[in-house]
Amino acid sequence: MNKTFARAVATALIPCMTLASVPLTAQAGIVSTEQAMVTPAGQADRDRVSAFLARDDVRAALVQQGVNTDDAIARVQAMSDAEVAELAQRVDRAPAGAGVVGVLFTVFLILLVTDILGFTKVYPFTRPIR
Amino acid sequence: MTVTRRRALALSAGATASALLGGCATPAAITALQADWPPGLPPRVMLDGVPFFPQDDLLCGPATLATVAQAAGRRVTPAELTPQVYLPGRQGSLQTEMLAAARRQGLVAYPIAPRLPVLLAELADGAPVLVLQNLALPIAPQWHYAVAVGFDRDRAELYLHSGTTPRLPTALRTFEFTWARAEHWAVRVTAPSRVPVTAEADGWARAVAALERSDVAAAEVAYRSGLARWPTHRFLLLGAGNTAHAQGRLTQAADAYERTVIQHPDFADAWHNLAQTRLDLRQRDAARRAAARAVALGGPRQADYRALLARAEAAR
Repeated sequence: MNKTFARAVATALIPCMTLASVPLTAQAGIVSTEQAMVTPAGQADRDRVSAFLARDDVRAALVQQGVNTDDAIARVQAMSDAEVAELAQRVDRAPAGAGVVGVLFTVFLILLVTDILGFTKVYPFTRPIR
Repeated sequence: MTVTRRRALALSAGATASALLGGCATPAAITALQADWPPGLPPRVMLDGVPFFPQDDLLCGPATLATVAQAAGRRVTPAELTPQVYLPGRQGSLQTEMLAAARRQGLVAYPIAPRLPVLLAELADGAPVLVLQNLALPIAPQWHYAVAVGFDRDRAELYLHSGTTPRLPTALRTFEFTWARAEHWAVRVTAPSRVPVTAEADGWARAVAALERSDVAAAEVAYRSGLARWPTHRFLLLGAGNTAHAQGRLTQAADAYERTVIQHPDFADAWHNLAQTRLDLRQRDAARRAAARAVALGGPRQADYRALLARAEAAR
């Protein structure tokens, strides 16, 4: 059921990704605002992941596992742009919601947290807390 | 490895069970909100001036979009918007297209932070908010757009222009469930001169950059209103330059780029655009100096920077 949901979300995202990749009809020689934003997209992804980790339902899940949100956010701050981009994609694909936390989402979150704590190493982009 | 993996699975199984059980209770977001009502947020708001269009059939997309567009000062009707957002094959409207259609009206589509207090703060500021709900369950989603137009703390209700009912009272609790299943998607469709009260600088810059493609003059106004709140923001400054340049006001564009590089001397793209604009203005020395700065900083567009420097040096 959650796969279906994830697939629905992914399908909904396809048009926006296609649109995003359409080259801009740029004025001669000018770097467009959107293009300029692409370089620090790392920051945008970072903010998205941090916002995700700071959300009430996510924080509750983290606290339940004995993890402090600030630690998780600090961990994200330590990741490279490419790593955060990958994480952000996973965040986008993870079904969200306070009442109906999807299994996929929960497993993703738990494995992320356990990765961060050094219990597991599922995602290549995490570095355990020393 | 095996042991830790097993422990992780046990952990996740436990969390899943508690999450499913948690689904029956009032969402934590609502409990927290009622217990800790944000200071300054009034207990009751009703935006009486927001127009209402009862939707036909499955056309909640066009109806809600027309509602927020009219509230932002445009004259557009649901019928005019239908061909822009409705997908007969899907019997609905995609979120992306809702945003794009708002931009085609010269409005900024700003997705607000996905939290109820933010939504209520926008309403308290007099702004209706377009929201997406999943009225059913993830297993058989029933997507629905509505426009939030008010709330009442004591009754714990949100008021929605929804379907064929204006100001439909909806329990905050129920709303939170249906909204959460749509990933808390909510958008302020706003005139470029009016930055939403809860807006953040980066988000506003992104929303306006997307508008640049459909309506450059509106985007320029939006960058300027953003700069009134965040005077040194990197992309708002650059965007003010780019929109002036796109409209052929080169001197003004150069001034905007100069302001950008004064605030952000590490911003190679801004130096590059400054150089291009100086070259357009036939100010070759200034163009060469700015182009050299871009090349010295480098980055993913270094090839473009070098090409521009070569052109500036060749110019007579």
